[in-house]
Amino acid sequence: MTDASTPRREFLANIGGGFSGIALAHLLGQDLCGDDAARSTGTELNGTRLSGTDLNGGIHHPAKVKRIVQLFMNGGASPMDTFDPKPRLAELHGQQFDPGDGQKVESVTGSPGFKVLKSPFEFRQHGESGRWVSSVFPKTAGVVDELAFLTSMVSKSNVHGLASYMQNTGFTLPGFPCMGAWVSYALGRISDDLPAFVVMPDAKGLPYNNQGNFTAGFLAAQHQGTLVKASAANPIAHLLPPNNAGYITDQSETAGRALLEMLNRNHAIRHSGDSRLQARIESYELAARMQLSAPGVFDLSGESDTMQTEYGLNDKVTEDFGRRCLLARRMLERGVRFVQVWSGPSGAANNWDNHSNIDKELPYIARQVDQPIAALVRDLKSRGMFEDSLVIWTTEFGRMPFSQGSGGRDHNQGTFVTWLAGAGVKRGVTHGRSDEWGWKAVDPIWCYDLHATILHLLGIDHTKLTYRHNGIDRRLTDVHGHLIQDILD
Amino acid sequence: MKLTLTASTVFLLSLSVARAGDARVDFDRDIRPILSGKCFQCHGPDAESRKGDLRLDSLADATASRDGSRAVVPGKPDQSALVTRITSNDESIRMPPADSKLELSDAEIRLLRTWIAEGAQWTQHWSLQPLVSPTVPDVPDEYPGWARNSIDHFVLKRLSEKQFTPSKEADKRTLIRRVTFNLTGLPPTPEHIAAFLADTSDEAFERVVDRLLASPRYGERWARHWMDAVHYADTHGHDEDAIRENAWPYRDYLIESFNSDKPYASFVQEQIAGDVLFPDSSDGVVALGMLAAGPWDESSQMGIQDGTIDKEIARYLDRDDMIATVTNTFLSMTVHCARCHHHKFDPIPTEDYYSLQAVFAGVDRVDRPYDRDAGTASRRQHLLMEKASLEVRDVADSSLLDPKVLARVADWERRRPVSEWHVLKLDTVKSTGEATVTKKDDGSVLFSGKRPEIDVYTMTTHLKSQRVTAVRLEVLLADGLFKNGPGRQDNGNLHLSEFKLLAATGDGEPRAVALHKPIADFDQSGWTIAHALDGNPKTAWGIYPQVGQPHQAIFELKEPVDATDGVTLTFVLEQLHGGGHLIGRPRLSATAASNPSAASALSVVPAEIESILTVDPAKRNDSQQSTLSLFVLTRENAAALAELPPQPMVYSIASDFQPKGNFVPARTPRAVHVLRRGNVLDPIGPATPGALSCIDGLKAQFSTIDLSDEGRRRAALAKWASARENVLTWRSIVNRVWHHHFGHGLVSTLNDFGRNGSSPTHPELLDWMAARFRDGNGSLKQLHRLIVTSAAYRQSSRHNELFARTDRDNVYLWRMNRRRLDAESTRDAILQMSGLVDWKMGGPPARQFVLTGGVHVTPTVKYEDFDLDSPDARRRSVYRFIFRTVPDPFMEALDCPDASQFTPKRSTSMTSLQALAMLNSRFVVRYSEHIANRLEHDTADRHQQIRLLFEMAFGRSPMNDELEAVAAYADQHGLPNACRIIVNSNEFMFVD
Repeated sequence: MTDASTPRREFLANIGGGFSGIALAHLLGQDLCGDDAARSTGTELNGTRLSGTDLNGGIHHPAKVKRIVQLFMNGGASPMDTFDPKPRLAELHGQQFDPGDGQKVESVTGSPGFKVLKSPFEFRQHGESGRWVSSVFPKTAGVVDELAFLTSMVSKSNVHGLASYMQNTGFTLPGFPCMGAWVSYALGRISDDLPAFVVMPDAKGLPYNNQGNFTAGFLAAQHQGTLVKASAANPIAHLLPPNNAGYITDQSETAGRALLEMLNRNHAIRHSGDSRLQARIESYELAARMQLSAPGVFDLSGESDTMQTEYGLNDKVTEDFGRRCLLARRMLERGVRFVQVWSGPSGAANNWDNHSNIDKELPYIARQVDQPIAALVRDLKSRGMFEDSLVIWTTEFGRMPFSQGSGGRDHNQGTFVTWLAGAGVKRGVTHGRSDEWGWKAVDPIWCYDLHATILHLLGIDHTKLTYRHNGIDRRLTDVHGHLIQDILD
Repeated sequence: MKLTLTASTVFLLSLSVARAGDARVDFDRDIRPILSGKCFQCHGPDAESRKGDLRLDSLADATASRDGSRAVVPGKPDQSALVTRITSNDESIRMPPADSKLELSDAEIRLLRTWIAEGAQWTQHWSLQPLVSPTVPDVPDEYPGWARNSIDHFVLKRLSEKQFTPSKEADKRTLIRRVTFNLTGLPPTPEHIAAFLADTSDEAFERVVDRLLASPRYGERWARHWMDAVHYADTHGHDEDAIRENAWPYRDYLIESFNSDKPYASFVQEQIAGDVLFPDSSDGVVALGMLAAGPWDESSQMGIQDGTIDKEIARYLDRDDMIATVTNTFLSMTVHCARCHHHKFDPIPTEDYYSLQAVFAGVDRVDRPYDRDAGTASRRQHLLMEKASLEVRDVADSSLLDPKVLARVADWERRRPVSEWHVLKLDTVKSTGEATVTKKDDGSVLFSGKRPEIDVYTMTTHLKSQRVTAVRLEVLLADGLFKNGPGRQDNGNLHLSEFKLLAATGDGEPRAVALHKPIADFDQSGWTIAHALDGNPKTAWGIYPQVGQPHQAIFELKEPVDATDGVTLTFVLEQLHGGGHLIGRPRLSATAASNPSAASALSVVPAEIESILTVDPAKRNDSQQSTLSLFVLTRENAAALAELPPQPMVYSIASDFQPKGNFVPARTPRAVHVLRRGNVLDPIGPATPGALSCIDGLKAQFSTIDLSDEGRRRAALAKWASARENVLTWRSIVNRVWHHHFGHGLVSTLNDFGRNGSSPTHPELLDWMAARFRDGNGSLKQLHRLIVTSAAYRQSSRHNELFARTDRDNVYLWRMNRRRLDAESTRDAILQMSGLVDWKMGGPPARQFVLTGGVHVTPTVKYEDFDLDSPDARRRSVYRFIFRTVPDPFMEALDCPDASQFTPKRSTSMTSLQALAMLNSRFVVRYSEHIANRLEHDTADRHQQIRLLFEMAFGRSPMNDELEAVAAYADQHGLPNACRIIVNSNEFMFVD
């Protein structure tokens, strides 16, 4: 069902997943990439066959990053209790919060009194970069020299759902494609054996907005995040027949594929001139390949005990997040382009939404991710994967410098912390300042800027990656976005 | 730049195609796309971004002289500044400027030049031109006998111009499979195929079409298309993705509307303002589900306090969704683009956008009561109007002494049971909320002072020489409360969580007295009087919205209390809901009547009336008589209303409803402002209700109506949108229908008929059909019939490589388009083949998942635990429960949208994950077994089983080699595996 106005790329993108990239590059490659664009052809990566053309040279300029892990701290990680120390809060502790100049202080869920709350955690400087880190991240503190901090991120909303949409899609409303989907749309798959974009939620549940955060929005459905339930018996939906399907055996599958192929080939001969028929035949071949290669991702028997311990797999607290970080690395190795790993489900507990008691709630959740994150950064670096891989640590908003209840903090869109590490990014730097209380950013950095910078690293000009929807050429960065030059290597 | 680049490549291609047959440049087809694509950004309708004070979107401006130079001098390209500027070699004056990154091709420059040389003819944008039915063209001589109806004349004309030839008619098996899927979303059964093959008459196909259009399956199919367009779902979406228990009546309304072939104008009107325009129809309220169909942000609407910026933003965004739903769906205009600035390409100033915001300024999305049948709706409407008139009737009104009224009063007086209630004189009264307690002379108790969140009233009385069979609680009006209460809440409501009675004799301990058969004169929806006895402190009795009048409730004692020797009764009124839902002035009574339920709540009269009734009717003065008449009329009106069946709810819109947290009704329209760049902190001025100003012959501002009535605002929009003069409406729907028949619209951008959208491939055909549809009472069934019985629709889908070279997408219809089944058709076809489909229509959605409590508002949804053999599994897909943020993974893999965005047309992907879903989803795996069971039940012969399978899945018999191959596979690996392979095949998944 193509139509006159459907851009040819959109039509091509509707058929055959990874083939879109290939077809696109063949058809439009000269126009899309500079002649100097590096393009791999039929290479192998760690034994995995890669698509002939994966556009890892970028589509508007040469890329530095080819694959990404995004770690999303669901609920709003507190900046002044982690990476952005505010000694002023200790001086003002217990006093009424007053930013002066008659500025109005609002809090969305109600914080009576607005009494300043100092951080209950000790901050120390770490590494050669001297990055201040609080005691909730002892292990991450060990790798700060690899990280580039953005300490004045801002959001448009103080509400979880809207702010999560914003950080993921650039819009506060549902129905827009998330960054992973845009990247899949722009660059296609690296490998034919695995999806381009994988999402691993917390074992305790989905984040705010459920799957809305991983949606392809108005882009074709193939670009949405493939949901992987890392600790489930069958991590990927539909990969294998259900356990109780007794009538399906290895033999019936082999013979069945042959029969299907025969029927489809005969049909295609009788109905010539329709490339979709061929594309669908090939989609079954790809499916078979994915069935063979995907289980290998989850088989950790090849990972040494040391490695598993390093990621925290034999500690109950870190086991879930650690497993997902290790799986993320294995997926990147096998050609997944974008992996999103979530910490914390939606709701009032077990996540980063520390309304009641920062002192207890934050260390609880931070300990789940601290060691796995440090392990991931070290592991990617030691394997040389930082040559073309990027790690992003992010959250939807920060928290207030004053207390809610006895010792919690309410949502604060005014300032929060994100960090990046890996290819194309400076090591051990910090960009952006928040005010003396950690209430508002002094130099605001928007998700548009972060997204523009990440797309830039992928070889994509964020102003040119567009999709016409409902009369508007939509972008991940809406009509905004400036590259964060200070952290680019 | 790849998309822009690709789009312009396609555009140039179509341009050259378009030019091939016509000598003259056509402004709308050839020139306007260039101007809007390359020039309007700075020289278009948006004044803020305009440069050099030059507009190229109006002829007057383009030809006006400025500093002696004119951008366009008709007939004289060399004197036209526009030509000079676009052809200059001087970078500093050449247009478009280099920094715009826009460029004109040589072909475009030639077109602009030729256009000016030919006189610079300026026509209105095609979609806004008056809708006049064009003459049906003659059939070119070379195609005798091909055309079947007027559609074919138009199609042939274009084919002939492009030097294409039409395809011959598809075979009968292909035709019946095509039209059955197309009209009903299901495959034809082997019996229907056989009947069609056996019918050799000329009208055989028409008979099939008529049968399908008369089938209820038709409405189910086409309602689903509409649900895509309006982004319908059964949950809110957003962060707190709560369930909408009552969204589905709107879905049933759609199905019934399509099946009953409702005239399109009524269909439009009902969905915008059915409550106002058709108050006595049952559809009037249910249809409003369209305005509420989209996502709703519960966190912002319910969690955030009024007066905050976040709340104000949430309200503007909520109305934005309503505007987009209405204007995209009915008008195919991208009005929402004008939220932050004047529309860049279309004549839609930002003021128009905020006029539409003002239309919806009085409503919110909420459950709303309605009547299931028109008779009840009409009667309720009549009684409510009578009620409203009684409420303002002056006692001095002479109509109250009308003999007919007096006869009614006399009749009422004759029938009236005599009250046997005795007001109890209270000894002690306590309030845990520390209210100020004042005992009144009439036996009531006033609770006033600082209002606590919750309160428990404990009242005691001592009785002697009495039997008590029932007790009565009156909640009376009190000064100082909203509308005099009777509740202390800001809206006059109250919530009685539990009503308890204890009795003590002598010095004994009070013991609980069991109560039952509670009756109240009025129950708030969902807050019935039974809740006051259910022992659950979380439920309660309420009286909203019937505030401003007293109410009462009666509770019977299971065992009468004998007070002959004296008894102390203790009444405990627990009011624990919070938010100050408290009773303002209660009064307690008791009766010894042997059948207390006969002494119903409505038989009780106020003291003033009681005293009039003691006067002999003949001796009453006019004032007494009028007062009594008014009372009786009011009482009978209330009784009649109370007798109407309870109202079900539909998730739609309303201006008044029970507040929930920070989510409070507007009641009267909220103030809406025109906002600079869409920023709520930067209002320019108040917005007044209206619609688009770009349609000739229709008044855009609704200034003549009573603006304080939000319903009239919507009614005015409904009339405007459905007006005969609204050329967009008629073109839009005809194109939408065409899209669903052919796989692409005559205008491919179904929701964008603006200058940035596509132009029609067959403008005359579009207008001819739109005018015919408009003038033919907006009958969709007639339109379907016309289209599917055309020769164009009946063509073979056989490919022609030669034609494809110049018209790859077959926009000129030299063949039919092959289409992949969508998610619903795939699932429904498999269900039908299994023989297990449940054809039950309507009702609450089939939840094809297991729901458990979530950690937050959103529950946990597990599709993998759903019992596929349960009745809910067998419903047609249109009745599935649609969970916005947790979509069904099988349906999603087949491109079923998640309803977070408008989906006028679906994408059809073909990916490995989709292949895996078709192979391994629990549904396909289980229903392949069911299909096999059905086949085995029909016949034990393997070859017969395979033949039937082919008939059901493909609509044809197998060829010998296929028959042998599939039978051999079934012999070795079982029939279920064979069925599973067949439904995975291309032939099943595509319709020729």
